Amino acid sequence: MLNTYPLAVLLFPGGLFALVLGLALKGVDRRLAARLQRRVGPPLAQPFFDLVKLAHKRTMVPDVAALPVFLGAPLIGAASMMLAAAMVPIAGVYIPDPIMGNLLVLLYLLTIPAVVLMLAGSASGSPFGAIGFSREMALMLAYEGPLVLVVAAVALRTGIAQGGWVSFSLTEIIAYQQSHGAFLFDPVMWPALLAFLAFYPANLGIIPFDIPEAETEVLEGPLLEYSGPALGLFKVMSALKAVVVLSLGIALFFPLAPAGLAGFLVQLVKLFVLMLLGVTVLRVSCGRMRIDQAFRFFLKWPLALSLLSLVIVVFARGGN
Amino acid sequence: MNIMKLFARNLVQGPSTIEFPFGPAWTPTHLRGRITFELKDCIGCRACEQVCAGGAIRFDKTPEGLRFMMWHNTCVFCGLCEFYCPTKAIKQSDDWHMAHPVAKMYEMAIREVIPYVTCTSCGGKALASAPNPVGVEPPFSAEEIEQQRNLCPGCRKKALEERGASS
Amino acid sequence: MSNLIQMITEKSRDIAARSPWIYRINAGSCNGCDVECATTACIPRYDVERLGCQYCGSPRHADIVLITGPLTARIKDDVLRVFAEIPEPKVTVAVGICPISGGVFRESYAVHAPLGQYVPIDVNVPGCPPRPQAIIEGVAQAIAIWRERL
Repeated sequence: MLNTYPLAVLLFPGGLFALVLGLALKGVDRRLAARLQRRVGPPLAQPFFDLVKLAHKRTMVPDVAALPVFLGAPLIGAASMMLAAAMVPIAGVYIPDPIMGNLLVLLYLLTIPAVVLMLAGSASGSPFGAIGFSREMALMLAYEGPLVLVVAAVALRTGIAQGGWVSFSLTEIIAYQQSHGAFLFDPVMWPALLAFLAFYPANLGIIPFDIPEAETEVLEGPLLEYSGPALGLFKVMSALKAVVVLSLGIALFFPLAPAGLAGFLVQLVKLFVLMLLGVTVLRVSCGRMRIDQAFRFFLKWPLALSLLSLVIVVFARGGN
Repeated sequence: MNIMKLFARNLVQGPSTIEFPFGPAWTPTHLRGRITFELKDCIGCRACEQVCAGGAIRFDKTPEGLRFMMWHNTCVFCGLCEFYCPTKAIKQSDDWHMAHPVAKMYEMAIREVIPYVTCTSCGGKALASAPNPVGVEPPFSAEEIEQQRNLCPGCRKKALEERGASS
Repeated sequence: MSNLIQMITEKSRDIAARSPWIYRINAGSCNGCDVECATTACIPRYDVERLGCQYCGSPRHADIVLITGPLTARIKDDVLRVFAEIPEPKVTVAVGICPISGGVFRESYAVHAPLGQYVPIDVNVPGCPPRPQAIIEGVAQAIAIWRERL
């Protein structure tokens, strides 16, 4: 079992491995989306080609931009996601070093990409960047609530069932599910599952919730003024974020897997299935929501469902 | 749900994308494409120059003869020149492969000259254009066209009167 | 050692040339050519994503620029500004006959055609409007030129 954390952050499962996996997931997503629309679609390795191409262009910085924030934002975003990828355990294969922190630290790390996007938008100095900034802020406020409550519900369930109060360690959550059945099949956790299913498209920036980076509406919002390697770093950040969020979803609700290489392959299969069914099919079948519609949506059902699941978990002690 | 049935149908039917540029592209038969010009059929009436919407056709009188010049980069592919040409010397083919690097911009042109010849009957200066077929009954045969080509306008008129057809 | 570096650079240029991103500039066009450009983007029949192309929303992300329309006097400064925002290396494709020679608008007082006097154009695609297949052909030629400039 690998648990030396610099190697974990840089190579496996963070860093290089997560980057390659994220880009592969994105390539498969684009190809399947094209096939669902009766097009041929790009080759599977297209996101890799995009990154190499971006490395060949030069980064142009606008005169009115705040240079340290403009260039530092993508670096911070990519670095945070690289660290976060090393913090999500893979059932049966990888346990993160406890020095890196637990679920609470991961939650904070997950907010960094959104904050970085906001900073990039406002540091660009362009009005489209400012619009992207405000939209990203509204969306983030909307979806962070359900996420925190879902995580709290899962942590409470694990903690209470083990006789304590709350347990924020992902390793414990996975161990509990491996012995008592996954939360996917636990009726008490179904509202939390639904809330999580509503949360992750907004976090990953998928239609119907890709409002801040809408190409046709705000000319790509915060990313408008970026080009070259800085833009490449943003693509890296979004690829890593996809891996982190999907792995987190798997770890919270369905981490059952055999040990060793078989467990690793099962994790890959789960990621691809979740990507194809959860991201691609959703992306291709919906239109984009307006920001006020998305805001109101999140303040209604996902918030209510996650609150409901929290209440149920607290009152449903008993059972094991 | 309807959308799922749509996706299943799309996946089964496969892509509807054409092969081009990795294979040949289908072209409809009467596509209004690149202009072609048959020098031997041109009567020099310059109707095409008058009706050309893009100003692509130009006739110039040079010492060698009547020069026809047509630049493809101003042609709007309207087809008026073909419509008004009495002999259909200028026609639209169905060729649409006209994308070119900018260095070849001025090579995308047709440059032909209808030469001056000496009239076979009176010895004066004649333009070797085809005779005007409008209103000629019965129509010219191929030998008559070649005969008329080498006559000056005055001698052409005399030959037509002798033939018994006048427009 | 330098041979190895050169080989790696060549290979990375080959890889980078498989992802050209397209940006459209409408320089006062009648929208006929823009409709055909949009057709190549959105219609499954003429999928440009096979070539790795992607229509991007920002000029900063672009590699290949499709310009349509004769340069009208009103939009001239804005077009030149947006064109300067596109980072090198880039390839410009003049779509339709309007940017090449003015097309049917060539004698108008409000038109500053040909575009070639303000902006360096690399590929011409004549037509009014050109077929989507002709535009794809022009884009393929532009990709070959761009590969050399990387």
